[in-house]
Amino acid sequence: MKKIFYLFAITTVLFSCQKVIDVDLNEANPTPVLEGIYTAEDSTVRVKLSLTSSYFNDSPSTSIDAAVVNITDGAGITSNVPSIGNGNYELQNYIPNFNTTYTLSVLYDGVTYSAECDLADTVSLDDITYEYFPGFFGGDPGYVVYLNFQDPANTPNFYQIILSLNGEEFGGLEDMFTQDDLLSDGNPVERPLFSGDFFQIGDTVGMELRSVDEDVYYYINEAISIVGGSASAAPANPTTNWNNKALGYFSAYGNSRKEVIIQ
Amino acid sequence: MFFKTSIVYLQFNKLSMKNIVLFLLLFISGTSVAQKFTLSGTIRDASNGEDIYGATVRVTDLSNVGTNTNAYGFYSLTLDSGSYTIEYRSTGFETQTFKIDLTQDITKNLELTVPADVQQIEEVKVNATKENNNITSSGMNVTRFDPKSIETVPVLFGEKDIMKTLQLTPGVKGAGEGNAGFFVRGGGADQNLILLDEAPVYNASHLLGFFSVFNSDAIKDVALYKSGIPAEYGGRASSVMDVKMRDGNTKKFGASGGLGLISSRLTLEAPIVKDKGAFIISGRRSYADLFLKTQEDLKDTKLYFYDLNAKANYRIGEKDRIFLSGYFGRDKFALGDAFGFNWGNATGTLRWNHLFSKKLFSNTTVVYSDFDYEFSIGTGDDGFGIRSSIQDWNLKQDFTYFINNNNTLKFGVNGIYHTFKPGALTGENETFNELILDERYALEVGAYIQNEMKIGSRFNIMYGLRYSGFNLMGAGTAYDFDDKGNKIDERTYASGESIVYHQGLEPRLSASYILSESNSIKIGYNRNYQYLHQLSNATSSSPTDNWVPSSNNVKPQIADQIALGYYQNLNKNMYRISGELYYKHMANQIDYRNGAQLILNDEVEGDLVYGTGTAYGFELQVEKKKGKFTGWLSYTLSRSLRQFDEINEGKEFSARQDRIHDVSIVAMYRVNKAIALSASWIYYTGDAVTFPSGKYEVAGTTVPFYTERNGYRMPDYHRMDVGFTWYMKERKKFEHNLNVSIYNVYARENAYTITFEENPDNPAETQAVQTTLFKLIPSITYNFNLK
Repeated sequence: MKKIFYLFAITTVLFSCQKVIDVDLNEANPTPVLEGIYTAEDSTVRVKLSLTSSYFNDSPSTSIDAAVVNITDGAGITSNVPSIGNGNYELQNYIPNFNTTYTLSVLYDGVTYSAECDLADTVSLDDITYEYFPGFFGGDPGYVVYLNFQDPANTPNFYQIILSLNGEEFGGLEDMFTQDDLLSDGNPVERPLFSGDFFQIGDTVGMELRSVDEDVYYYINEAISIVGGSASAAPANPTTNWNNKALGYFSAYGNSRKEVIIQ
Repeated sequence: MFFKTSIVYLQFNKLSMKNIVLFLLLFISGTSVAQKFTLSGTIRDASNGEDIYGATVRVTDLSNVGTNTNAYGFYSLTLDSGSYTIEYRSTGFETQTFKIDLTQDITKNLELTVPADVQQIEEVKVNATKENNNITSSGMNVTRFDPKSIETVPVLFGEKDIMKTLQLTPGVKGAGEGNAGFFVRGGGADQNLILLDEAPVYNASHLLGFFSVFNSDAIKDVALYKSGIPAEYGGRASSVMDVKMRDGNTKKFGASGGLGLISSRLTLEAPIVKDKGAFIISGRRSYADLFLKTQEDLKDTKLYFYDLNAKANYRIGEKDRIFLSGYFGRDKFALGDAFGFNWGNATGTLRWNHLFSKKLFSNTTVVYSDFDYEFSIGTGDDGFGIRSSIQDWNLKQDFTYFINNNNTLKFGVNGIYHTFKPGALTGENETFNELILDERYALEVGAYIQNEMKIGSRFNIMYGLRYSGFNLMGAGTAYDFDDKGNKIDERTYASGESIVYHQGLEPRLSASYILSESNSIKIGYNRNYQYLHQLSNATSSSPTDNWVPSSNNVKPQIADQIALGYYQNLNKNMYRISGELYYKHMANQIDYRNGAQLILNDEVEGDLVYGTGTAYGFELQVEKKKGKFTGWLSYTLSRSLRQFDEINEGKEFSARQDRIHDVSIVAMYRVNKAIALSASWIYYTGDAVTFPSGKYEVAGTTVPFYTERNGYRMPDYHRMDVGFTWYMKERKKFEHNLNVSIYNVYARENAYTITFEENPDNPAETQAVQTTLFKLIPSITYNFNLK
């Protein structure tokens, strides 16, 4: 829907202009940012801990190495996720158990933060198709890729989609896509994914379809809208699955990948 | 003669101001000493037969005795038998005075003429001393315009726009550039009741807000009530904007129109039967897309709007009159077959005026109103579309009983049947299941009684009570949600079965005390209930902002406002100064949870949160109404705050429109018969906005960290516009003019948005980027009038 309004905005581009300005912003107290990811694909738990910094501070954010990170599976068995430096914590060979709930906890500065996430069944990506498009508004023509998969019926499903071009992943928030099945439950889904430029003949385009938890889906959606400079009148921090006012999210997911060469 | 007025019941809830329930019951009994007769009739414009609304009929031999014509030009004055001098007056017309021997009921219909030379009337009016209606009327300062009086005010793209000009008056704040919405005294944009010939207009904007739906050529009068709102109006919490269409020329055929950069207009009007009935039809269409067609890539692109206003009226004998009016407007946007988006309003009003007696005026109205929008994406097997609409049928009966020259009683009832179609997703595309959200049905009823009363020669009071009720009905499903917005229960209802009934009493009061011929003080109080709510969480208004009814979850919004004003005319009414103070409390205000899904969501009520609002302020206006140099200066000092338990940790925060200082200056100078110059300047404190107070990284991307809602300010906004109108040589049957205007003449770069983002050249850095919409926009418009 947002794209539609960009199209309207084109009509005002003739008149509008942009410039970088100075804005006087307050300094918020440093708050922990906890990004926990458990990928079933390589059975690895990766956690990155840092603190918020002031908005116009250009140096890298402060990482947290002095925390205790644990993951607990659906059976209540807790495993430590050891620090590997620079705010990163990693636990390998952690075998996934689908349709169970994992709990990640972080003890930092006397506060224990925890987040729960369901590891959902993985939905497989069936096919990548593509179609030639003439350029809009004088842009270069090229190919648009379509994601094709079969949504399982009668269960709510949530997806996160990452594109790649010639091996380079577009994993940033502004480049990723999300999809739910509110309007397409049980259907074959064929969805065009519009990225910055159209693809050209010879490009290798990859897709990763992640089957994510509902809370993670909403988190990613809200984060995308904040980063994308959305038209929201009152932006707010994305709703996280962490407690105790921590930022970030914990996602446990299975995924399915495909690649296609456009020819 | 005796009057007995009893305020029988006055009950204050001890807990809080907002729960004041004020029952005003009124008993008037009059005993005649002398025999009484009624002088009544209709006042019209001699040039085209249009009714004159708000003309003054004054008995010059008596102090504070007189009346004003109603919206249909009708007046009625009951006096003791005797000889009187009656003065008929209306702004822009020559005043007429008659001696009348009132020894029986008299019907006096009158046509007022515009003086041949505009310059002359200016002189005449300067010498007139009774132009002080603003001082003597009981109503609080109603902002009223006739589109002609502001035709030279410079506007964006030269599109005369009554809504934009209203935003230059105190207490009315525009929602910003590219936005036709407005805020009255700290209320929300959906809290304004916008009526076009009594039909509610649910979306008053074109081109996503750059223009309003009101075509000035078809409009006779616009009145904006900010406080002391009369009891006949109900349904919105903040204000009433009452727009009346022209009735058409009952004298002769006329044509007028204009050619502008964005759109062109044409209006045709003619008598149906001379002096008995007339019609008017007025159309407007934008044509920016016709230029697009000249470019190969854009030839399938559509981007336009059109309006059609049509009205007919016919007088059946002396006692009955029928009006039929309609508005149809639509915006269309399309990129070939790939994408289409269109929206629009349609309204229709059928009215019957009937005089039961010389004292009892009746108006029966049937109103239809519809707003809908539609998206379509793709065609054939891939295509799908989204539709949504709101539709009203309103039946209304109003009476005005001119009891005597001290009391005018208005009373009436109405019922509106609303049909909400919140959204439907349909199409051949196999990805999507068809989804049709439940339609919702509601009956909104109202009944009111109000008396406008003169006590002695100095005190005028208008007091009334409105009852409103709202019955949300099946067929449909009602949902219950827990504190976090998760659905915990649902119930289904049969067709016509009541889901919930909300009701309320709305006391209304305004009173004035005339200190002298040239100054007065006034107070106003009103309580308003609002049963429909518009959901919008974007910075700019969008046609997809759905209206939702009050329900088992959504309570009606309730606004209580008290206002106090002082009015002073100076230099023989040449200058008008007014100062008003107000305090407003708003209950059951609506906001959204983070990530709320407002479109195509059956359970949208679970995403809503409820809180309160407070607004207060001081408004000052200095106006010069007469002479070669006219215009006004207005200044508003105000706050508008909100409090929600779920937002900002429960702490009170500024509403977006919490602009502390707001200044507008409008100046119009008629150099000579041929040339008019105009300029306007506005300044306001930047809107309250949410900016980040830090940043962090997620998924390798810098994300802004927000700590409080609306804790920052946009940069202050200011802008000057200038206009030049050249009235070219006038012929007997033809007049025309050329208007040149420049918007934002000193090219101030006002912020439309400020976004916080990674520096595209260096992702490690973050920056704030300001977008400015309009720097210096010149425009030219040609207008003509075939008399």
